[in-house]
Amino acid sequence: MTATDAPPAGRSLPAELSALGALFALTVRQHTHGRRLLVLGLLYLLPCALAILLRNLPRPADAGVLEFALVLTLLPHGLAPLTALLYASGVVSDEVEEQTLTYLLLRAVPRWELYLVKLLATFCVTTGLVAVGVAALYAAIYAGTPEFGDAAVPRAGKMIAVMALAQAGYCALFGFLGLYTRRALVAGIAYVIAIEGVIASQEFAGRAVAVVYYVRTLAVRWLDLPPDVLKECRDVWGMEDLAKLPSSGDCVWTVLGVAVVVSALSSWWFARSEFRMKTPGSD
Amino acid sequence: MSTPIITLDGVSKWYGNVIGLNKLTLHIPPGVTGLLGPNGAGKSTLLQLATGQLRPSQGTVRVMGQPVWDNPGLNKVVGLCPEQDAFYEWMTGHDFVRTCARLGGMGRGEARDAADRAMARVGMTEHMNRAIRGYSKGMRQRTKLAQALVHEPRVLFLDEPLTGTDPVARRDMIEVVRELAAGGASVLVSSHVLHEVQSLTQRIVLLHRGRLVAEGQVREIRDLIDKHPHRIVLVCDRHRELAARVAGWADVDGIKFLDGQSGLMVETRRPDEFYARLPAVSTGGLALREVYSEDDNLEAVFKYLVTR
Repeated sequence: MTATDAPPAGRSLPAELSALGALFALTVRQHTHGRRLLVLGLLYLLPCALAILLRNLPRPADAGVLEFALVLTLLPHGLAPLTALLYASGVVSDEVEEQTLTYLLLRAVPRWELYLVKLLATFCVTTGLVAVGVAALYAAIYAGTPEFGDAAVPRAGKMIAVMALAQAGYCALFGFLGLYTRRALVAGIAYVIAIEGVIASQEFAGRAVAVVYYVRTLAVRWLDLPPDVLKECRDVWGMEDLAKLPSSGDCVWTVLGVAVVVSALSSWWFARSEFRMKTPGSD
Repeated sequence: MSTPIITLDGVSKWYGNVIGLNKLTLHIPPGVTGLLGPNGAGKSTLLQLATGQLRPSQGTVRVMGQPVWDNPGLNKVVGLCPEQDAFYEWMTGHDFVRTCARLGGMGRGEARDAADRAMARVGMTEHMNRAIRGYSKGMRQRTKLAQALVHEPRVLFLDEPLTGTDPVARRDMIEVVRELAAGGASVLVSSHVLHEVQSLTQRIVLLHRGRLVAEGQVREIRDLIDKHPHRIVLVCDRHRELAARVAGWADVDGIKFLDGQSGLMVETRRPDEFYARLPAVSTGGLALREVYSEDDNLEAVFKYLVTR
């Protein structure tokens, strides 16, 4: 028997963990290179700049109003899902588009793990970005005010935790969408507007399908919002009766559960899918 | 005959209504084998099936006796130099190869050393710390080959590895494949240019429109090929000087300047001699940016083989 005839060695856990670590690092580096991060960074800076501007007018805007408009509305309804959509929908399709998926498929990593690790790295990057956005917004709104240290900083920490949960849900959903359709960006924007925007704002049971419904519920329950801001939230979001809302635990487990199930389904689908690399000869 | 290293049994692959491979049965023994066919013959489909990127619509594919689809264990001993010119452009060459090594399961230090060795093997040590986006075509081909070699595979698939390379890179890459074969690795190299394959091996498999046309020694179809003029495109900024230089060669039958490009097409019935002279041109100060062969003549031979 020659060296070539000998059967290949089986799987080894340390080698596989090393490969998965490398894949995680590669995905993080992919996400932090390029224009996408720059564009999103600018998008996150805009509300911060707006908050600083409005706080420095001759008649400064009320911090509570700014928190409701920018932190509790713009961020969870616009920036956070957009961040997840831009990154998670391209977890596989970007590699296919750039024809680099071959380099990943030919390594000692099972396909389903490959998808999950890339999604996990995507979740970490988007959560990091959103966390920085939340912190920057709270700083822009409350810096220099008496509430900053005692109230705003702890609230920012809790809001980051809520948004991390939201990113888990969004990344799982948009990762699935990226596998399902080539028009994931269009479909994702339609989803955000229809489900996370319109349906989540209607006071009926169907709004429980929207991630933002749980974000709002946790914001109302966890954030220790100032009374006027809390009233505004409950009025606008149709959450007057707290008893009708799910508990904090239910919110967390529902979003995490859906994220895990959708991610598992996506990784199974990815493992069964073929990704044909176009060659110059097209054969 | 020795145990086949790559086995395809009744393999068909359809892309919707388009047939990529058609009921192909093929047993490829250890050593270097050339996979030859014009564009669209099914070469890349075969390589993507053999490396587990695609699943056959029908039939079975095995490498070293193992199924290839989603088989990470097998991937440890298989390498592929793909045809597509795709990289993580923002990485340096060394970074890219080291990342591929780490994706193969190596630790940090082991991967760094393996990347050093692989880059040295393909002659890229000098340029390995530059960003890939600044690489020439030849450097990119060498880097692709390095990532395929970094984990020292026992079976290597090379998809059109010499396309677009300059003569020096071509010579170096041929040398690398020969060394691999001498070291006991099995190599399946695809090309649409017979003379590229012939420089690597005498054993070839001919595909045409997804079917096996012929299998055996290269000498048998050489005579057919040489009845047709071989057309080779040379891309060079100083193409008029280049034309003046090669016009005097006895093995050149004709020269044609390419419209709108810095290049020329040479016709020859003795391509081996022509290719052998090319490195001297390059080292003589005329930098050839690309060399590739038109496959019209090969297509004609295939038509002859299919219809005879």
